[in-house]
Amino acid sequence: MRRVAVVGVGQTKFRTRRDDKTHPELTYEAMNKALEHAGLDIKDIQAIAYGTMDPFDGIYLPERWDVTSGGIGKPFMKISTGGTTGMTTGLAAYEHVASGVFDIVMAVCTQRVGECVDAQPVLNTAVCPIYERYSGAGAISVAAIQATVHMHKYGTTEEDLAWVSVKDHKNALKNPNAHIKLDIGVEEVLNSPMVSSPLKLLECCPRSDGAVAVIFASEEVAKKIRDNPAWVIAETTISDDYYTGDRPDLSYWDTLAIAGRRLYRFAGVDDPKKDIDVAELYSPFTIQEVLELEALGFAKKGEGKDMAREGVTFVDGDMPTNPSGGVLCTNPIGATGLVRLAEASLQIMGEASNQIDNVEVSLAHAWGGTLQFHTLMLLSSKKKLKG
Amino acid sequence: MVLKFETKWEIPYVHSAGEHGTKFFEALKDKKIMGVKCPECGRVLVPPRAFCERCFVDTTDWVEVSDEGEVVTVTVTYIKFTGLPDPPYATGIVKLDGADTGMLCLLGGIDLSDWKKVHETFKPGAKVKAVWKEEREGKITDILYFEPVEK
Amino acid sequence: MKVGIVGIGITEFKIHDEPFYNVAYRAAKKAMEDAEIERREIDSFILGGYDNLGVGRTISNMYVAPAAGGYLRHEIRVAEDAAFALPLAYMRVKSGLSDVAIVLGFGHSSETPVELVELQSLDPLFHRDLKLSLQMGYAMQSFVYRNTFNVSEEDTAKVVVKDRKNAAKNEYAFQKEKISEEEVISSDMAVYPLRKPEIAEWCDGCVAFILAEETTAKRINPEPIWIEGLGWTYDNYFMGTRDLSKLFATAKAAEMAYKMAKAKPSAIEAAEIMDLTSDYHFMILEALGFAEYGKAKELIDSDLPVNKSGGALCTNAYGSTGAFLLANLAFQLREGEIDKGIAQAMTGFAQNAAVAILAR
Repeated sequence: MRRVAVVGVGQTKFRTRRDDKTHPELTYEAMNKALEHAGLDIKDIQAIAYGTMDPFDGIYLPERWDVTSGGIGKPFMKISTGGTTGMTTGLAAYEHVASGVFDIVMAVCTQRVGECVDAQPVLNTAVCPIYERYSGAGAISVAAIQATVHMHKYGTTEEDLAWVSVKDHKNALKNPNAHIKLDIGVEEVLNSPMVSSPLKLLECCPRSDGAVAVIFASEEVAKKIRDNPAWVIAETTISDDYYTGDRPDLSYWDTLAIAGRRLYRFAGVDDPKKDIDVAELYSPFTIQEVLELEALGFAKKGEGKDMAREGVTFVDGDMPTNPSGGVLCTNPIGATGLVRLAEASLQIMGEASNQIDNVEVSLAHAWGGTLQFHTLMLLSSKKKLKG
Repeated sequence: MVLKFETKWEIPYVHSAGEHGTKFFEALKDKKIMGVKCPECGRVLVPPRAFCERCFVDTTDWVEVSDEGEVVTVTVTYIKFTGLPDPPYATGIVKLDGADTGMLCLLGGIDLSDWKKVHETFKPGAKVKAVWKEEREGKITDILYFEPVEK
Repeated sequence: MKVGIVGIGITEFKIHDEPFYNVAYRAAKKAMEDAEIERREIDSFILGGYDNLGVGRTISNMYVAPAAGGYLRHEIRVAEDAAFALPLAYMRVKSGLSDVAIVLGFGHSSETPVELVELQSLDPLFHRDLKLSLQMGYAMQSFVYRNTFNVSEEDTAKVVVKDRKNAAKNEYAFQKEKISEEEVISSDMAVYPLRKPEIAEWCDGCVAFILAEETTAKRINPEPIWIEGLGWTYDNYFMGTRDLSKLFATAKAAEMAYKMAKAKPSAIEAAEIMDLTSDYHFMILEALGFAEYGKAKELIDSDLPVNKSGGALCTNAYGSTGAFLLANLAFQLREGEIDKGIAQAMTGFAQNAAVAILAR
């Protein structure tokens, strides 16, 4: 199989609103930052995979406008898969190169959730209009029902979850692109207003505007571009059935566990906690990091809740998660997955704003739908993990 | 200074329920909840659907399930979101007796102001029953909410 | 390593009573039956078709992934017409990440006014307030095309007559009513210069293709249809910057597809093209290299079979029209009528295009 690496990363600053730019101008900003990072010109980019989640921005099929940011005349493909969009857009760009059809391909995602006056009603339109929409289900309530079950089954406490928020917020302070910058402790989280029980305001992500671009290159090209590329070791996605009520056990994200097994088998990861140095997980709500840690084999079932409280997932811990501040502090929904991939790549390159020491292997993740989809990608400073 | 334009989407949709959905909604008028049984895995699926996503076969066998069941999970929302119900409201999943899948629904019939009390009443496994609308019209909202079997 | 199409599933194209995911399930099921494989033998599910607003559900693949058979499998969705999903499926197989993949295109237009939905694709600053419909965009291009190349309404009427005649013989086509040149010319003006029968009507329908890498493909089907060339691209969003008498995106996508297939237009024996209007029929043929610009009207009586399916003018399902045309091209290859053919799709105001060259 053809080896492919991430050779350039560009992110705009993520803010509540980016009134200074139009949609394609934001895309252009991220694309140019990635080009600059890779030392490339737009002419060098052979194809573009573009991702967004349309309804949030109030523009349907914004790729048609955004293509003016440098894509006209190039093979240009729009990917949209819900919360996983950013990761699947990166995956599509990776496949462009892995197939041998192209050598240098850019993934770019733009989202302006801030232009949407309220994101939850949009998220509510994701669920079935004839059976489920009336229930008011949105992203927050779907995460909250996971928390309810995890607390009931494993005795997870509000404090346990608050520690995840404290950790992410502390990390975001180090990231100039991060949206929410708050120096907070457990008490502040616990005292923040209840949104959907048991999740409180400081356990929920913001709505962010911004764009991100990631450039993939074939082995021969990557070597010429930089001496510290992030090699793509393995990828996987998984899709569950539609209805939320079909999930067998909301206290355990079994589809993510299955996807993780496939990823690790392909990559040659024996012990994720030992073999993976840092993870950028899609956890817009505190409980979801706990579930992800357990599903991905970083913690045993029911023990993910202890990791933030015990400091394991902090930057100086054994298994740092979301050193960027994560989705909890920055969520431009359809671009968020690609931010995970960008940050995981920067950790490999040793260029992250909140850099972990000696990173050899990093993991990027996104989930989407009503707990229906996952996408994973494993990156490394080495071309392959074993042998 | 930059200009800002306010826009709004108002797009009408007419969603087809399909033959399976139609049968389900017609039955609601008679306070009946219908599911389909997958001929391969034997799971009783509620809401009913034309095919089993897991076995990838058509579903043709209908079964009536109870309007009572167990709470799988719950959350109470206390913040107002545009176009969504006025808070507080409790959203959850209930697995009806006779069904193998849970159904996303509203829970109610109790005071929702203290979330901890709500979570205690509607803890996973708690028995609940449907509270039906007086004048039913063949819509999912004919089930107003699920309330505790024993108050 | 080649990539082949080993199974095709196509539903009726009409106004369906069932929700789009149930129709999609039928297409996927038929494709698997056609290839004689089970859902579990497919490792990748690549979905095509429109986003959220077209079906009034924010993440349409939540419904379509299970309908395609994607339970616990790799799933991704490419937006715009499903013809744009074919290249991604091809690249996934070509890279070795997948042995057997399915492309499922869902087309649905009957739940909501498509024009109102497409209006939201225009930016809220410069264009949306102009209330431009798709048909108005088509008509502006027709007007320029007819004036630039001296194309008459008799010329364009012939396209409608021909497509309708072909559709009448196609069991999957939507609009099968035959029409004469005189009837076209005397029919109501829709958006000047386009008359009603010169603009495609909306319908619903789904198409699925099963793709496999060469060795596996031959095990599944002794005579796969090979994907030899693919091209896809976009033109400028601002119509004022485009040469409206030509289809830049189609020409550019065709150039890429011909290069990949190492073929010239002269090697192509049949074409299935997304003629959303009668004028586009000519403009597409020109962009694909079958005639000089302005000269495609001379092809109407040529030997090149164009739109044996009846084309988009007779079957236009929002999101799957391109996939419908691809399937109809594949049928001609299967029947041994041709050895190599080309299919083209485009969306919006003909801003983009996806082109595929298929061969036996």
